[in-house]
Amino acid sequence: MGFLRIFLRRLGTALLVLFGVSLLIFVIARVIPGDPARVALGPNATAEQVSALREMLRLDDPVPLQYLHYMGRLFQGDLGISLYTNRPVTTDIAEFLPATLELILLAGVMMVAIGLPLGILAARYRGRWPDHLVRIAALLGVSAPSFVWAVVLMLIFGFWLQWLPIQSRLHDSFTIAPVTGFMLIDTLIAGNLAAFGNAISHLILPAFALALSGIGQAARLTRANMIETYDKPYIEMARAYGFPEGRIARRYAFKPSLIPSLTIIGLDFAAMLGSAFLVEQVFGWPGLSRYGVQVILRKDLNAIVGTVLIIAALFLLMNILVDLLTGLLNPRIRHAQGDKA
Amino acid sequence: MTMHLSKMPKVALLTALFATSALPALAGGTLRLDEVPVGELDPGKALDYADSLLMFNVYDTLVMPTAGAPGQSPHLATEWTIEGNLVTFKLRDDVKFQSGNAFTADDVVFSFDRMKALGQGNAYLFSTVEKAEAVDANTVKFTLSAAYAPFIASLTRLPILDKALVLQHLGDGEGEMKDWGQAWLSANSAGSGAYKIVSHNPQSETVMSRNDGYFLGVPAEAPDEVRLRYGLEAATVRAMVSSGEHDITSQWLPPEVMMAMVGDGAHLLQEAGTGGFYIKLNTQKAPLDDVNCRLALANAFDYQTAMAITQITPEVAGGTAPTGAIPVGMLGAKPRDGGTLTRNMDAAKDYLSKCAYNPADYTLELSWVAEVPLEERFALLMQQNFSELGFNTEIVRVPWVLFTERVAKPETTPNISQVFVTAVTGDPDTLLYPMYHSSLSGTWQSPEYLKDAEVDALLDKGRTAATPADREAAYAAVNDRLMALAPTIYGFDRNTVMAASSRVSVPAMEDPAKAYALDGMGLSFRLMAMKD
Repeated sequence: MGFLRIFLRRLGTALLVLFGVSLLIFVIARVIPGDPARVALGPNATAEQVSALREMLRLDDPVPLQYLHYMGRLFQGDLGISLYTNRPVTTDIAEFLPATLELILLAGVMMVAIGLPLGILAARYRGRWPDHLVRIAALLGVSAPSFVWAVVLMLIFGFWLQWLPIQSRLHDSFTIAPVTGFMLIDTLIAGNLAAFGNAISHLILPAFALALSGIGQAARLTRANMIETYDKPYIEMARAYGFPEGRIARRYAFKPSLIPSLTIIGLDFAAMLGSAFLVEQVFGWPGLSRYGVQVILRKDLNAIVGTVLIIAALFLLMNILVDLLTGLLNPRIRHAQGDKA
Repeated sequence: MTMHLSKMPKVALLTALFATSALPALAGGTLRLDEVPVGELDPGKALDYADSLLMFNVYDTLVMPTAGAPGQSPHLATEWTIEGNLVTFKLRDDVKFQSGNAFTADDVVFSFDRMKALGQGNAYLFSTVEKAEAVDANTVKFTLSAAYAPFIASLTRLPILDKALVLQHLGDGEGEMKDWGQAWLSANSAGSGAYKIVSHNPQSETVMSRNDGYFLGVPAEAPDEVRLRYGLEAATVRAMVSSGEHDITSQWLPPEVMMAMVGDGAHLLQEAGTGGFYIKLNTQKAPLDDVNCRLALANAFDYQTAMAITQITPEVAGGTAPTGAIPVGMLGAKPRDGGTLTRNMDAAKDYLSKCAYNPADYTLELSWVAEVPLEERFALLMQQNFSELGFNTEIVRVPWVLFTERVAKPETTPNISQVFVTAVTGDPDTLLYPMYHSSLSGTWQSPEYLKDAEVDALLDKGRTAATPADREAAYAAVNDRLMALAPTIYGFDRNTVMAASSRVSVPAMEDPAKAYALDGMGLSFRLMAMKD
């Protein structure tokens, strides 16, 4: 019951934030330079054609009126037509979002599956060579932006070693009918294991490039928290009882150290929705982040607002999930959240 | 049972990874190339280079440029006659659309009416055409509001749609034609071309396959499948070509990347004679409202270094030496053996001495388009060149969207702008009229704001002259007049260069005798040959 109440409260706050975001992005999209009608019609369109399109898009109406009209359509599930792709924005988002989600989900898994164990390892061997190695690797991961890693990984594993593919989501020789838009799922639905394996191979480099910074963050944070926990008296007591080191690390040191790491991983994961652009660009990944940047450059108003709203909604959803997870891990937080709620 | 379940993920993973290493071979003739996004499939909206590639391969036109020579040849039309403002075409009776529907004059009329009704893309090329009528199933007549000599060339930009198929797919809209099939044609094709659309993702890729029923046939060595990819990064393309994952690059790669690819075994494809690199001088703002100041800058510009910036190999560059205002190979151009434009500082100083302004009193705003990093190098070159005359310059990076807004008024237009312009139909009218006719000032093509009655009259004459010789004379005179007025510094004649892997041969971009004087037509897939 407590969880449900926290969830509903968080959801209510998220809806308010979404409303604010919609208002803000709607106004910002209209004040950035460039006439969307002129951009859409091309450089040779006459003034009359531009004017006709502006009228059709209601761009000459006062901004508050435009916003009310937009929200009216939004509640009917209509995000308008993209002037960039000439398709409904909902169609574009439905096509591009799964590609980005698939990428960041794997990146998220990598952050957890690689970053946390590295942090535990470093804490357990504090001051020894595994610790130094992890700290250097984590520092490298955090200090270089993901697009640099994308290019470096592409050059090493795609260009020189030619172990992994460089571009797209699937090799040209496969034809997989889109069902969910998630290539891993669609290849399994199609019963094509070879295509499934190929889709994984296409995911590895971009997901790893995207995850590297998060892996470094998670490792550093987990190490620091675990070291702090290792100094607690109850760990000393567990050692005194002669519990094996592995058990102490897993059961008594890791769990309390996980909460800050989880919060950071959750935020990093949500932030990847926006920051995936450069990685998507390098690997020719047909995702929503790349689409988002292209529509901003073309001043495609409907698509800008639609994309930002979807990314904001996912960001908020991730925050709610992290809140719930931290509550699940630590009853004191849960009760405090419930009290505040 | 428990043991089996615990082993399953490992088995699946191993199977998948094994399968990855045993990829099915690609069909022997799959061609992979790339361009900037987005690929527009609707013939009523197509405009950019990527769109042109789709149009030239998926659709047909009444005429097409003649290979290796100026002018147009019959294509879907067999012949045409011009009587005053009436142009009548006889059409082929053996052409079928990809749907199996027969091609008739009704399809031509529908395609024209649709282009006019949408008013987008290349519709402006047909502003002088009042109507199109089907005389009979194989004859179509166009009525022009005035004589317009470039009309035949304009038809290379009127893709012919399968009317019956489009009518089956009309979307929501007002009137009899509703949305004119816009929603459907944004993802599907209704053409008769040598290639048909398999799938179209405007952001990432369009897949096409050969149309074996094409009326001219598709040679066996032509690609079976084509994948036109959009928006790939230079580093990605380089790696892909070198690892055999890609065949033809876009034209937008930096020269250094092309150079590296040649070192990796790629060969270069070229397409020339359809446009140039233009440095536009705002003739309405001091000090460049004085012709002598403009001539001083034109003479101070270092043409050789500008071309060297685009150099890819010792033999190939992204530009060739200009001879005047019209690119060599186009009607009215000066021949290259008559001399090319070169830097002449003595002449520059002489003109400057006649200029009414003191250069030290002005700071010239020198803009470059943010999306074209190469222009920054030209901006730096100009800054250095013009400083030798005493001009102060301020280099400004302007995003394209902002640039098109700024040039709408002479007072907000930079003193100096840089653009690459191409003749959309290969005819000089589509290059020069939008740039210099005073009625069209204030677009990205005309930030000079040139107001010259003589240029206007000559450009109008180029449109209405009855014979090719008269047209040539008119454009030659335009060329001379523009060189005297110097509204623009003619940086270099554009040479579009792409790198291609050894898997593919593109005769129309390798042999000048087979080249087309129309941007993008060289990449007609049916004329290519894939090697094993």
